[in-house]
Amino acid sequence: MRQAGTYSGILSGGISGKTGPHLLPLARIKKIMKKSGEDVKMISGESPIVFSKACELFIKELTQRSWMVTMQGKRRTLNKEDVASAVMATDLFDFLVNLVSESGEATTPLEMDTSNYS
Amino acid sequence: MVDEEERLLQIANVGRIMKQILPARAKVSKEAKQTMQECATEFISFVTGEASDKCRKENRKTVNGDDICWALGALGFDDYADAIVRYLHKYRELERDKATLNKASCSRTSRDKDEEEEHSSEEKSDHQPHQQTQAPTPSART
Repeated sequence: MRQAGTYSGILSGGISGKTGPHLLPLARIKKIMKKSGEDVKMISGESPIVFSKACELFIKELTQRSWMVTMQGKRRTLNKEDVASAVMATDLFDFLVNLVSESGEATTPLEMDTSNYS
Repeated sequence: MVDEEERLLQIANVGRIMKQILPARAKVSKEAKQTMQECATEFISFVTGEASDKCRKENRKTVNGDDICWALGALGFDDYADAIVRYLHKYRELERDKATLNKASCSRTSRDKDEEEEHSSEEKSDHQPHQQTQAPTPSART
């Protein structure tokens, strides 16, 4: 049985007391890390926690930039093309260029569909 | 609600973070969330790859928080690196405090101690298997 006290807010849920709860499940982060390469063998306990924060920052930045594109188009729904545009416009997100051009193609959707029927 | 594949971060969590930064009236298409899911997952792989390269070159087996901070800086995510260094510092302080408290509780009844350690190790992180992670004594690692 936990004892309530000075530290209970800080200790429960990791560092939720001061820095906010983790927004991303740590087990999944760890899985993704392990899959990233053959070399990744052991991961310290703090690594998924660090990534939880880093991903939060990343998602927020990309979302903000995408939203700016949405607003430029005078729309209120952020769509995947807005995300693709934000990626293209940001050098830092160069590593995502292939990813968004695969999924966020602006060309004829029909081309994509026919490949499924071949 | 099942995730598309277990290789990606959960869409609900990603969506929640997106909402945090957007104005209340903003809407996000499902496809945009999916794209963001993939981008965030790729981000983890990308940074982990860099961090793990460094560990390999230095003949270390375990990727730790410092390696991730370094990798963020090396890949151009300087702002994130600064924020994460502070975050990590705070986390380690709290872990040290927790370890101290656990030690103190050893002098209490063993039953109380077992419950608390079990509880605190569960609460330390949502799902953190202890298979490969090391014991929570950050001071011992460096």
